[in-house]
Amino acid sequence: MQAEIIDHLRFTVISPAMIKRMSVAKLIVPDTYNEDGYPIDGGLIDQRLGVIDPGLKCKTCGGRVKSCPGHFGHIDLVRPVIHSEFAKMIYLLLQSTCFTCHKLLITQEQVQEIRPIIKKTIEAIEEDEHVQLGEEEIRELLFKKLKSSKKCPHCGTAQRKLKLERPTFFYMEGNKMKPDEIHDWLAKISDDDVRSLGMDPEAARPEWLVLTALLVPPVNVRPSITLETGERSEDDLTHKLVDIMRINQRLEQDIDAGAPQIIIDDLWELLQYHVTVYFNNETPGVPVARHRSTRPLKTLAQRLKGKEGRLRYNLSGKRVNFSARTVISSDSSLTINQVGIPSKFAEGLTVPFYVTLWNIEKAKELLQRQEYPMAVNLITKEGIRKRIGETNKEELVKEVQPGYVLERQLTDGDIVLMNRQPTLHRLSIMAHEVKVLPGRTMRINSSAAYPYGADFDGDEMNLHVPQSLEAQSEARYLMQPKNLVLSARDGRPIMFIEEDEIIGAYLLTKDDSYYSKEEASMMLSTVGIYELPKHEKNGTYSGRAIFSMLLPKTFNLDYKSGDQRVTIKNGELTEGIINEKLVGMGGGALILALFTECGADFIEKFLLNIAKISLRAAYKCGVTIGMSDYYLPDAVEKESQQIIAQADTKVHELLKRYKEKKLESLPGYTVKQTLELETMAELETARTLAIKALNKHVPPTNIIKIMAMVKARGSIHNFVQTSMFLGQQAVRAGRPSRGFAGRILPYFKKGDKRPEVKGFVHSSFFTGLSPADFYMHAMGARDSAMSKSLVTAVSGYLQRRLINALQDIYVDENLAAKDASGALIQSIYGGDGKDPMKEKVKVK
Amino acid sequence: MADIKDNETSVVPGEAVGTVAAQSIGEPGTQMVLRTFHSAGTASVVVSKGLPRLIELIDARKRPRFPSMHIYFDKGISSKYEKVREIWRMLEEVRLSSLIKGFDEDLRSATLTLNLDRDKLALYELTSRQIVAKLAKREGLQASAEGDIVKAKINKRESLKSTRTVFVHVLKSAIIGIVGISKAIIQQSEDGTFFIVTAGSNLEEVIKISGIDATRTYSDDPFEVNKVYGIEAARNIIANEIMQTITEEGITVSFRHVGLLADTMCSFGAIKGAGRHGIAGNKESVLARAAFEETVKHFINASVFGERDMLRGTAENILIGKQITLGTGRVRLSVRKSDIAKLSKK
Repeated sequence: MQAEIIDHLRFTVISPAMIKRMSVAKLIVPDTYNEDGYPIDGGLIDQRLGVIDPGLKCKTCGGRVKSCPGHFGHIDLVRPVIHSEFAKMIYLLLQSTCFTCHKLLITQEQVQEIRPIIKKTIEAIEEDEHVQLGEEEIRELLFKKLKSSKKCPHCGTAQRKLKLERPTFFYMEGNKMKPDEIHDWLAKISDDDVRSLGMDPEAARPEWLVLTALLVPPVNVRPSITLETGERSEDDLTHKLVDIMRINQRLEQDIDAGAPQIIIDDLWELLQYHVTVYFNNETPGVPVARHRSTRPLKTLAQRLKGKEGRLRYNLSGKRVNFSARTVISSDSSLTINQVGIPSKFAEGLTVPFYVTLWNIEKAKELLQRQEYPMAVNLITKEGIRKRIGETNKEELVKEVQPGYVLERQLTDGDIVLMNRQPTLHRLSIMAHEVKVLPGRTMRINSSAAYPYGADFDGDEMNLHVPQSLEAQSEARYLMQPKNLVLSARDGRPIMFIEEDEIIGAYLLTKDDSYYSKEEASMMLSTVGIYELPKHEKNGTYSGRAIFSMLLPKTFNLDYKSGDQRVTIKNGELTEGIINEKLVGMGGGALILALFTECGADFIEKFLLNIAKISLRAAYKCGVTIGMSDYYLPDAVEKESQQIIAQADTKVHELLKRYKEKKLESLPGYTVKQTLELETMAELETARTLAIKALNKHVPPTNIIKIMAMVKARGSIHNFVQTSMFLGQQAVRAGRPSRGFAGRILPYFKKGDKRPEVKGFVHSSFFTGLSPADFYMHAMGARDSAMSKSLVTAVSGYLQRRLINALQDIYVDENLAAKDASGALIQSIYGGDGKDPMKEKVKVK
Repeated sequence: MADIKDNETSVVPGEAVGTVAAQSIGEPGTQMVLRTFHSAGTASVVVSKGLPRLIELIDARKRPRFPSMHIYFDKGISSKYEKVREIWRMLEEVRLSSLIKGFDEDLRSATLTLNLDRDKLALYELTSRQIVAKLAKREGLQASAEGDIVKAKINKRESLKSTRTVFVHVLKSAIIGIVGISKAIIQQSEDGTFFIVTAGSNLEEVIKISGIDATRTYSDDPFEVNKVYGIEAARNIIANEIMQTITEEGITVSFRHVGLLADTMCSFGAIKGAGRHGIAGNKESVLARAAFEETVKHFINASVFGERDMLRGTAENILIGKQITLGTGRVRLSVRKSDIAKLSKK
């Protein structure tokens, strides 16, 4: 069943002879359908070019809509026309050759000097060797030399000055050259000379660059649409081809009638315009051809180009079957490796079931089933797909034999690929095991959401069901989250616990957390552990002991970071608090150690269990936020006023020193810039002071403070902004500076230099913002929203360029990094051949 | 419990390390800042940072927006402020216009009268005589000095316009310093030694100055380093600068990815950027180039020169629907002919 494999592609220019060979019909009527709505013979929808109407037969191959591949036709141009995209090349060719003897403007010796290099490169390409040739450089060198030549070395004629006026007009000494003259000139260049220029006369004879016949694409390349009103609407290409043919016909008539030269020339130029636009409607220097609705026509170049063009939209990316998309939500009872699939999806998606001698009974059972996990289609050995229905079921059961393939519905344990866009890195596509669930959303473990960059506020994800066994096993071995816990970016864990789970882990393992026997049993039973750890003297169980139940008995860890120290001895957490540095975004040291020592399957279980047990601990304590948590002791309010006042005076002092010219400029800055910098530094100090005050006065039991401290959610700065004061609002990385004359907002007096005039907000979210404050805050918010959207656009393009530049590089058997052509990039990848994913793994 | 052995941390042959590197550098791009930010307090020269700097490096822009140098000194000099200051005077490009209080131009007699600023002269330890000497070097110009007043006269007057042009050039002319270094600031490192940070870079000239430790002196402009020290050094500059730019944003990326990118950019022997004029635009495959950017241009050129696409890369194989040649797609199964014979017998 293997289709033929393309070995290589060759690009050539199609010669007029080739056009005629390819063509099945010479088109002569510049129209599409006749009054009866029937295609005109010799028109642009000639039935020899293929069919688009269901029910009609192709006059060339007899095929119907689905089987006829379409056939090319051609138009004979009465007068030759320059192919606008080749104009530059034609110009170079004209400049390189003598206008009388049509030989290269270079002596044979000079050619001999350069030619071997070119010859060698051509040979090398033909022998399919890799050559890192400066092909273009040689060409450029050659053309440069040719251009500078003023006199023909063969016939001695002094060369005339040539000019190309974009897009397609050539002048010699100010006189216009007609395309037919150019055609004849180019035709007289010898094959050898063409080869000397690095061109291949087999692939492109110079005169082919001037069109004498135009290839007309088959109708299924430019299908016409029938509107609801019964009106036919033609494709843009058809429209343009009609224009070309019409002018071509008129030109022919005028020439035959012996019309004056001016009229003929005008028509000729018009024909040139239509052909130019037919190839590229964005040719510079040419008016854009428009549809009646003023929409620019989409001609050949536009079809290929850009993001929505053929290359990127239809060839590099394709639509697929066996896929689904819906909203995602989180499910803490699924492991990172699983995905919850809505039962409706499971019914609609299928996986092939290969019938063999050994599973034919199972196959028959699947065939006979009346409900959910049943077979949907049957594919015979000949590859004929049959839908299984109530009526033909029994018949098919009898027919089925080894070699047949059933398509059965998706069931638990099948492997599927999940994807979230933007697909920024390889972890944006991972393989999950199916778990069919009720409901309409796809569900994933919240720890598996981070690598996707997903949250559950309405995000949607795509699902693909790999069909072939190779694809399925590749997905299982290479793409399951449990094997991808470490990031290939820096070797640190990229799947960990977050938010509520982090605060839970903290509450569970902090020094004074003890639980009663009932509580301990309850917590442990949620993760399927039905024994208790050692209890304390008073009969209680420490949170650390409970946590330790999740660890293997042989596991040891000694973690130090700053003044934090965590020790795990023989699977017992003896010291330290489990925080985000161990199991969260801040490094995940414990996850890294467990992953490398206990493997993928353990980490899958561990991430599930630690999340569950931490959440239990959080429920036990109760993590809620109320207004009262933001209502701070009066001391804070007082201190906050002090900080603001202090900032005010400090800024005032700075200003005073500046006015008295006592302010010394920082090296590399002007005095004025220094003033601004120092002012900003001063206001920054106000923020640090506020954070200090908060830490001092707010009791350690304040949940917002705890959350910020353990890095579960929010930061202490958020707390300052809600309960003390908002502080400096930034616009374009500085204080707001534009608005009204001499001030930012009309609320202020001109020349007012107090900090609040330039966006230093005194009020807090808790007390509410004054109108002026509100405006300042809105300015800052708008600025950050703007720059955020800009960054995504800029970095998206950067990503595309990077991928394009590096995508071919791989590591070969000897760990050398090479590119697609086999050129060496690094003799040993990274200098040591180590995988960055396992970079942080400690080697024993 | 599994003991991790050394060879288990090796890359797997076939691994698409290029794509992984590109993703690792590109993915955190969304988290980077767009605007150059100069932090208050620590005074230094303006350097581009964040996404703009990253793009500048990856694109291999010939002229970085804010090139900068770190100049270190030989042992005997680096701890002595006075000696460092002496060298500093030679560095910064000082234009005549920044040394004067004012000037007066008489177009009729083609004389330019300059009123020198004594304080500024003292700062760079210059005398009016030196300036006169410098001016006299210009062709067709006569210069004389009387105290702080320097007069420059054009010998041959042509048009008023040409006189003006000459005057403007004279005012803009560099009196001392190295071309390209617009600012130089002496800074002290933690161990007490001094070094100089500059805005603008001219490695070639700077390392010629005696007393400067050329082995440590650093320019962040890859092209300049390439010119002076060669491609290997430039590769290191690119890698270091990208790494530093990313790390400054608080993002961790393995050096392997950055190193691979830098190596790819330099693998031609010259620095090539990642865009359509660099690596992506110089690929062997026509289809890969056309699919990236400038589709029509690549097809047109390919047809005229009869190019072949050998379909060895990733992009072109996806395009035509073949399996790509990376990862598991690289693995080929070969069967001995004798084995096939055996099988067919059975």
